[in-house]
Amino acid sequence: MSADERPRDGVEEPGGAPAARPLLGSDPFAEAGGPDPLDAWLDALDQLAARGRTTAAEAAEASLPRRENRTAAAPEPAPRLAEVELSPELRRLSRLVGEEPARRLSALLGRLEGYDRFGLSRPAVQQAFPLFYALYRLYFRVRSSGHEHIPADGPALLVANHGGLLPFDGAMAVLDVLLHTDPPRLPRAIVDRWAGSLPFVNVFFARVGQVVGTHENLARLLADGESVLVFPEGVEGIRKPITQRYRLQRFHVGFVEHALRARAPIVPMAIVGSDDQAPVLFDLKPIARLLGLPTVPITPTFPWFGPLGLLPYPVRYRIVYGEPIRFHERFAVRAAEDPAVVRALAGQVRRAVQGLIDKSR
Amino acid sequence: MANVLVTHADLPLGRRIVKVLWHDPEVERVVALGEGPVPRAFGTYRIGAAPRLVYERVDLARQRAVADFFKSKRLRSLEVDSIVHVPRHGAAPEGPPVVAKVPTRTAEARLVLHHAIEARGVRNLVALSSAFVYKLAPGNANHLTERSELDLDPEVAAEIRAWIDCDMLFQAQVSGRTDAASRRLRVVLLRLPTVVASGGYVYWNPALAGAAGPRVRPAGFDPLCPVIADKDVARAVCAALRARSSGVFNVAGRELLPLSMLGRWTGRPCVPVPGPLLRAAAAGAARLGRETLSSAIHGPHLRYGMSLDTSRAARELGFEPRYRIGVTRAGDGAMRLEAVAV
Repeated sequence: MSADERPRDGVEEPGGAPAARPLLGSDPFAEAGGPDPLDAWLDALDQLAARGRTTAAEAAEASLPRRENRTAAAPEPAPRLAEVELSPELRRLSRLVGEEPARRLSALLGRLEGYDRFGLSRPAVQQAFPLFYALYRLYFRVRSSGHEHIPADGPALLVANHGGLLPFDGAMAVLDVLLHTDPPRLPRAIVDRWAGSLPFVNVFFARVGQVVGTHENLARLLADGESVLVFPEGVEGIRKPITQRYRLQRFHVGFVEHALRARAPIVPMAIVGSDDQAPVLFDLKPIARLLGLPTVPITPTFPWFGPLGLLPYPVRYRIVYGEPIRFHERFAVRAAEDPAVVRALAGQVRRAVQGLIDKSR
Repeated sequence: MANVLVTHADLPLGRRIVKVLWHDPEVERVVALGEGPVPRAFGTYRIGAAPRLVYERVDLARQRAVADFFKSKRLRSLEVDSIVHVPRHGAAPEGPPVVAKVPTRTAEARLVLHHAIEARGVRNLVALSSAFVYKLAPGNANHLTERSELDLDPEVAAEIRAWIDCDMLFQAQVSGRTDAASRRLRVVLLRLPTVVASGGYVYWNPALAGAAGPRVRPAGFDPLCPVIADKDVARAVCAALRARSSGVFNVAGRELLPLSMLGRWTGRPCVPVPGPLLRAAAAGAARLGRETLSSAIHGPHLRYGMSLDTSRAARELGFEPRYRIGVTRAGDGAMRLEAVAV
């Protein structure tokens, strides 16, 4: 039987051009033809939005695969602020948060499509932004300096101190970078593995761009050219007692290996305020071990006021960025394999962060 | 490849693969094996005095039936040189539910592999496996390569354990070929994520297996699921049949969708239920022998997401997904997930 005699059923011939592409919504095995299916599909989405038969979230979901998955290749650079136009929705938001933050959000959202491989989602970022912006401006009243040290593009590691039980320091640092870079960058904060197993928290973190801290994830983020926010103290940082506040704990050193391998600069950061937002009087480690929790803290408000006692006090945050440390200009990739070198370099970063904290307090 | 045998060709994915192979100019004849009667969709392919599509009814779970078929003169006359093993998978949402016979899947894989090695003329074996064989760590960002660890936890759900058993059977053949007969056989193992077909059909995902209807998932978790269009699976099979050497490959589409969204747009809305309640229900179901139900309501695949590294398939098989998966209004007016050629 020749190719012409073969039945047309909407499947393409692997060796050649598509024989007959299926119309959307038709029986996939039925004979098909007519307009380009992608156009038909996009028209259907537009009609759907116009009819208003779905919620805004559904419309956002429906628009999901219009463009290439961002993480299939290196991320597109975000447009510069001057080039950004506001959608009607963001124009409404701009009345609340101001023109410039809305433009920044718009520039960021323009880069996001669907879900990336770490779970970052455009609707979640859009919904979370006003809340965190209010916390940034009104609750923590963040002041920051040294933004010129944040690389405008390419992979970068932002290394900061950690404190305050709940990771508001991470959220404020992410927002600060977003609000002070042009084109706006959304740093991907690395969170403890434990957070990945927490109901609701894991989904929220993933949707707003936080990534569980594994070597594979960190390597992949840097390979994608992302800026990554790491807290090398880990859980030790958030549960340190009030007597240790603003004294850096022991650093995990894996981030230096990845910086060397990805040829990424390290930007030391000091976040002042986080250690005052929930001062830990005691850490009941035996009970924490028994319950499988990283910490069971006693603070002036917890556990006396229940879960509300974990909420941070309205302290003022100050974020300072130090000069980038470019280990990759002095060390070859193979230095990442030498534990002694890696430890020594991590020590340098630790001293840089501690120095910034001491200067900023 | 000239004459290709496809197992479970009466099931949805098997039908799709048969059709794409039938259109492949390099394929002389397609031998479709199925348990049931000839699918109506094959009607137009079996016309003429010497049709290029031959359909045979064989119960792949029965050793005698399979042995008789593979040793028959009929099969020898068909000169099959390649086998595509499509494991048993779910039924169409509107059709009667086909409960996955979990132990059967492993038995079928073993029989097909054994006879593929025994049959002298067979040179290629392409087997479909599942990406749910991988061990998932907490979090939504398990990026899995072909070298990632399999979930060998003794408490893994029976459904997934069956996938792992099949996978390991074929993988042993890929990596540890010892005797002369098996050395001549090239085995390609394709690990598939959730398969989405036009019309809101979804296969391969233990949480969404079977007929349409509500499902449950642990409250507070919404794992990211990589998806692939059924037509892309068929294209990957074609590419695998042309592979130069044995190997294991992840194949996936470009999209990642949360389980809740995937369920919602395929007629299987996932209702969040507190995790401890699900754990208890799963233990009860397992005790009653309802293994499929048990794996559908409990397990890491319902809590932790994954993405697949498909670079090896792109590099060595030349496979790139051509279909995008998105929500659209279908011909019957319902909103569904559809696969669209881009």
